[in-house]
Amino acid sequence: MGHDIFEITINAIKLIVCFLIIVQAVPVLVWAERRGSAFIQNRLGPNRIGPLGLLQLAADAVKFFFKEEFAPANAVKFLYYAAPIFALIPATVAFAAIPLGAPVQWNEHIFRLQGYEINVGIVFILAVSSLAPYSILMAGWGSGNKYALMGALRASAQVISYELALGLSIVGMIMTYGTFNLSEMIQAQQAPLSYSLLGFTLPLNFLPAWGIFYQPLGAILFFAASFAESNRLPFDLAEGEAELVAGFHVEYGGFKMLLFFIGEYGHMIVASALMVLFYFGGYVIPGIPMETLNQWALEHAPDANFASLLAGLITLVCFLVKVVVFLWIFIQVRWTLPRFRYDQLMDLGWKTMLPWALFNTILTATLIYVAHL
Amino acid sequence: MTADVFLFWFLAIVTLAGGLTTIMITNPIYSALSLAFTMVGVSALFVTLNAYFLAGVQLIVYAGAVTVLFVMVLMMFDLKHEVTAFTRGKISGMVKSGIVAVLAGILVGSISLTTDIFSKSGAAPEAVIGGDTTKELGKVLFSKYIFGFEALGILLLMVAIGAVALARSKGGTHAKQ
Repeated sequence: MGHDIFEITINAIKLIVCFLIIVQAVPVLVWAERRGSAFIQNRLGPNRIGPLGLLQLAADAVKFFFKEEFAPANAVKFLYYAAPIFALIPATVAFAAIPLGAPVQWNEHIFRLQGYEINVGIVFILAVSSLAPYSILMAGWGSGNKYALMGALRASAQVISYELALGLSIVGMIMTYGTFNLSEMIQAQQAPLSYSLLGFTLPLNFLPAWGIFYQPLGAILFFAASFAESNRLPFDLAEGEAELVAGFHVEYGGFKMLLFFIGEYGHMIVASALMVLFYFGGYVIPGIPMETLNQWALEHAPDANFASLLAGLITLVCFLVKVVVFLWIFIQVRWTLPRFRYDQLMDLGWKTMLPWALFNTILTATLIYVAHL
Repeated sequence: MTADVFLFWFLAIVTLAGGLTTIMITNPIYSALSLAFTMVGVSALFVTLNAYFLAGVQLIVYAGAVTVLFVMVLMMFDLKHEVTAFTRGKISGMVKSGIVAVLAGILVGSISLTTDIFSKSGAAPEAVIGGDTTKELGKVLFSKYIFGFEALGILLLMVAIGAVALARSKGGTHAKQ
């Protein structure tokens, strides 16, 4: 974790902060979702408590804390109580591996603005998020309720199906940049855009070399699949109110329910962050290379340490702004599109997105082969 | 005791406990869940060996896909009768233990006959510390072991086609009219 006490302390604090970011972003997101949906539907939404209704969620959290603690009579107690806790793990652990800003150089220490640096970051994040169905299945089975079990089976089948398309849509990205490392991927996206094939070069200097310009199909597939992965509309078959009440969490109430909520929003945050990382240049400000930013920070800070910290914070803000844009798209889509039927969902996953992701992989491989001839 | 040694023993014990729970517990759901737990433990052990890519793939394929399907299928059964049918009998228990012992013996024997990892004389191969083993793994997989790799792929394809053919011919929702 580090070489001396200072470094170890900072690294430990970073882990806690990464966890708190996920947990604390959720109330704000829920507020944005409720207010946003209200405006989309020509309503006002929660606006009574606090400025703009911002304290509504704090009030809700207090209410959830003081709700009666109960378990259904048919429940398998161990699984019933374990499931909400397991719902938190995949999103928070995956989020900690995402670089949120440029590394900060403080004397001889280098602190990365992420929980931990992993060389195969993409594989790690995919691996950890692939554990998400367990908490759904545990909740569905542990509740001892038919609707909960059906919702859990639907949700986990959906998550497993779309994991394939999700994984395959990133393969093109990995081949383009030739690395699994998220930081290296951001480095590769800093240069101005230029296509070169068979000796011809098409420079488009006014655009950054973002992944979306190299992998537009992959980006669309990845974004669509991440909707399914986080069980959001139009893929929220897990909680078809008309036929399944609330799906796998129908028997949960109070803070246990809130933990599932945090898990779902955590998945959203991770998906948006990955979208920014893979296809929209990560934490780098578009049009301003890191060297220029570091130079500017050196001129405006008392010494090199603070300059590095300043640059790190600016890139962090830039990253968060990009992530917020995608989070808003998640919310907007939820209140715009209707829900799929279950067979439509499976057809889309297996017969449309998977073949297109495979096609994208093969096309990328062929183009890279031709380009390196 | 250094951190690495502690980590190894901790993970080894936890993984083995998960594996033992898988075969000794009577509730199939818990059994499948502890199988998933064992997979996570094995993956963590890969991490301590610096095999990050293998660890990730282990999680994605085994814990994230295969065992999830086990759990899903198990949840659709009414398991109450099979619990008793499965755990009765001392003689059958002894037969089972004997079969497991024979299998373990065959495994250890075949490993020791084909490789020399059990002889202490050979020094351990040079470990790649902190490096990126993914590239080397891919190169070896697609050059030296290409035949086995492709053969496994064809085998899996055959299994998938066979499963679909069986499911379609023997009734069920997708049966041929």
